[in-house]
Amino acid sequence: MAELLWTEKYRPKTLDEVVNQEEVVIRLKQFIKEKNTPHLLFAGPPGTGKTTVAHAFAHDLYGSDYRLYLLELNASDERGIDVIRTKVKEFARTKTPGNVPFKLILLDESDNMTADAQQALRRLMEMYVAATRFILIANYPSKIIEPIQSRCAVFRFVPLSREDVVGRLSWICGKEGVKCNQDALNTIYDLSEGDMRKAINILQTAAALGEVSVSNVYKVVGLAHPKEIKEMIKTALSGDFIKARNILRSLMITYGLSGIDIIKQIHREITSSDIDLPEEVKVELADYVGEIQFRLVEGADEEIQLDALLAKLAVIGKKVVGVAPRRVGK
Amino acid sequence: MSVSKVPWVIKYRPRKLSEFVNQDEAVEKIKAWIKEWLSGLPEKKAALFYGPPGSGKTSIVEALCREYGFQLVEMNASDYRREQDIERVARLASVQRGLFASRRIILLDEIDGLALAGGADAGAIEAIVELIETTKNPVIMTANNPWDLAFRPLRDLSVMIEFKRLSKSNVLEVLRRICAAEKLACDEKALDFIAEKSEGDLRSAINDLEAVAEGGGKVTEEIAKQLLRARDRILEPFEVVRKIFWSKYVWQAKLNATQTDLDPDTLMEWINENLPRQISDPEDLWRAYEALAKADVYRGRIVRSGSWDLLTYVTELMTAGVALAPKNDPKSKFRWVKYQFPEKIRLMSQTKEARALRDSIAGIIGARIHASKAKVLKDVLPYIKVIFENNVEEAAKIAISLNLTDPMIKYLSQDKADKIIARVKELRKAIRAEARKSESGREDVQKAGRKSEESGRAQQAKSGLDSFVKKTRS
Repeated sequence: MAELLWTEKYRPKTLDEVVNQEEVVIRLKQFIKEKNTPHLLFAGPPGTGKTTVAHAFAHDLYGSDYRLYLLELNASDERGIDVIRTKVKEFARTKTPGNVPFKLILLDESDNMTADAQQALRRLMEMYVAATRFILIANYPSKIIEPIQSRCAVFRFVPLSREDVVGRLSWICGKEGVKCNQDALNTIYDLSEGDMRKAINILQTAAALGEVSVSNVYKVVGLAHPKEIKEMIKTALSGDFIKARNILRSLMITYGLSGIDIIKQIHREITSSDIDLPEEVKVELADYVGEIQFRLVEGADEEIQLDALLAKLAVIGKKVVGVAPRRVGK
Repeated sequence: MSVSKVPWVIKYRPRKLSEFVNQDEAVEKIKAWIKEWLSGLPEKKAALFYGPPGSGKTSIVEALCREYGFQLVEMNASDYRREQDIERVARLASVQRGLFASRRIILLDEIDGLALAGGADAGAIEAIVELIETTKNPVIMTANNPWDLAFRPLRDLSVMIEFKRLSKSNVLEVLRRICAAEKLACDEKALDFIAEKSEGDLRSAINDLEAVAEGGGKVTEEIAKQLLRARDRILEPFEVVRKIFWSKYVWQAKLNATQTDLDPDTLMEWINENLPRQISDPEDLWRAYEALAKADVYRGRIVRSGSWDLLTYVTELMTAGVALAPKNDPKSKFRWVKYQFPEKIRLMSQTKEARALRDSIAGIIGARIHASKAKVLKDVLPYIKVIFENNVEEAAKIAISLNLTDPMIKYLSQDKADKIIARVKELRKAIRAEARKSESGREDVQKAGRKSEESGRAQQAKSGLDSFVKKTRS
């Protein structure tokens, strides 16, 4: 079927197609040879090929109709451990493929599960170990509880190198018949921080603007990243709390950004050179931003936590005279 | 050992029909209806007593039983939802009378509870209708407001009996009687105040009188005002918020927060919305938000751990914590500012459809590229939007491959949506033509292997798109 999203179209289908992560691939191929595997935990930053490798592994293990034997779940989308339990139970009941004595359960973003849910997951892993193996995917392995880690073979995915990313991008350009200049590809690597998914998204979008040039790459990233975060920070610093809060609400409600995403972007903006604050104030702010991020997880309403941060910014804006851009017309 | 105390509302309930104040008309009607029962089956086997709270609807049923020697079978609002309870009552109702047992009156108290926010409980109303049809004993229902659309079948089957709101002098009369019976020193002005405040609700008036008397054994206007002014009154949300902000003491702020029927979550939204309107000094505002944010942390802990005894900290922080935050400009909180309905609540309901659309797009893409909705929203959708805003051709192809609907396309592109939708139509037509062409070559295979019309067509569309895309690419 025609696949028009490049991230999917050019996703490696087999382990042989995976060009980086050699360590991981070698070990996984051993499991395929033995037709047996322990539970697996794939850990590493976004866009390093964890999900891709999991699918390629299943493909090499079962053949092209591997999807019959792979249950794909996403901890962020499933509503609670009970839903996961029901699905796993249902899946484990049906027959296993002839030559492999188990089926695979892929649980993406499993580090988003609470510790309690992970305890329940651990029991599930034990209960159905005869008929299934779990592949857990996580950005932060430290957020996976110890007893689960100890039951899994842990695979660490390393950030992709510049050569890997640029090489892949230029291969895609060739396949698509798109003209792209090397500087542009390097710029994409710089902006994507080794995240292949992001890199390919930028590439496809830049190509859709006409050509993959350095200026188009910057244009894409500028368009795709809401400028509202920076605007919100500046508005709060200028003392207009209500307006800043309105921007926050539009980011959360209309864009659907989570509080954690927003606070991480705020942190990035504040430590960047774009916002002119004295260095010691940046340190003070870093402490408070961290506190708010912690409370976001503990609290019930993300907006109220971020409102407190905006109010703090207004205090700082008033103290550090000259930082706050004067409001026009008042 | 303390003597177990009977609340005055029960102690001074009228025992006889003649003791009811100001309900002569209702009493006459009831008597006539009961007489019909005593001489066979009446035309209407149910009666619906309606009127404001505290006008004597339930008490009169008890007096009726006592006077005519009926046994009372009672059912409360909370029972209506349980089928076995309705059945139990229906069984009792259908038997005329036991050899030794007396006749029965079936009381369905406060049927208002059946009219739910989302429409009445149709099943329960049906069950009551059936009960009325089969009963061999009088059925009495009570309601404050019987005019809900859902109660129509019940109204049709019932004798409607109205209970009037009691006048202030009616209430006063009863209060005086109780004062005399209790040998209480009652200040006339205090009784007047209590009666006034009750707005014709005798039950609440008696409860108030008892509460005031309990304090010091005497009823003075001063005590009555002190004790009763704040109680029971439900304020408008903006009034409550104002009173919370204006509070000077912790107890005062907490007390003010009780004068609303908003749930704590909504009250917090109201406070959050209007806080920056009331408090202008940045430091004061930040202190207030710190209190609110900490209240929210306790709220999160309640949600996660289920320990509702933490609720008091939520209340203290979000009311007193906020009210006591202004230090640089302590007078600012007494300024009169116009409050607003929480913008967030409005925004949430306004954007409900758009958000659902956005989430379903994220769901479609997430399933395709193996990512969660949150990840798609953050990392993928922004780029797709850029494509949709800038490249009609590419956008149309993506729309077809993801099978996006027209509203979804409109969500992704503000300016070019119409062009994209038009192009999608053209492309789909071309794809169908392509599919037909390639189909004619493989007709025999198709015929032999056809599973179902549907999957066959989906197959065609797919292969059509595949070859079509190949063509346009090369």
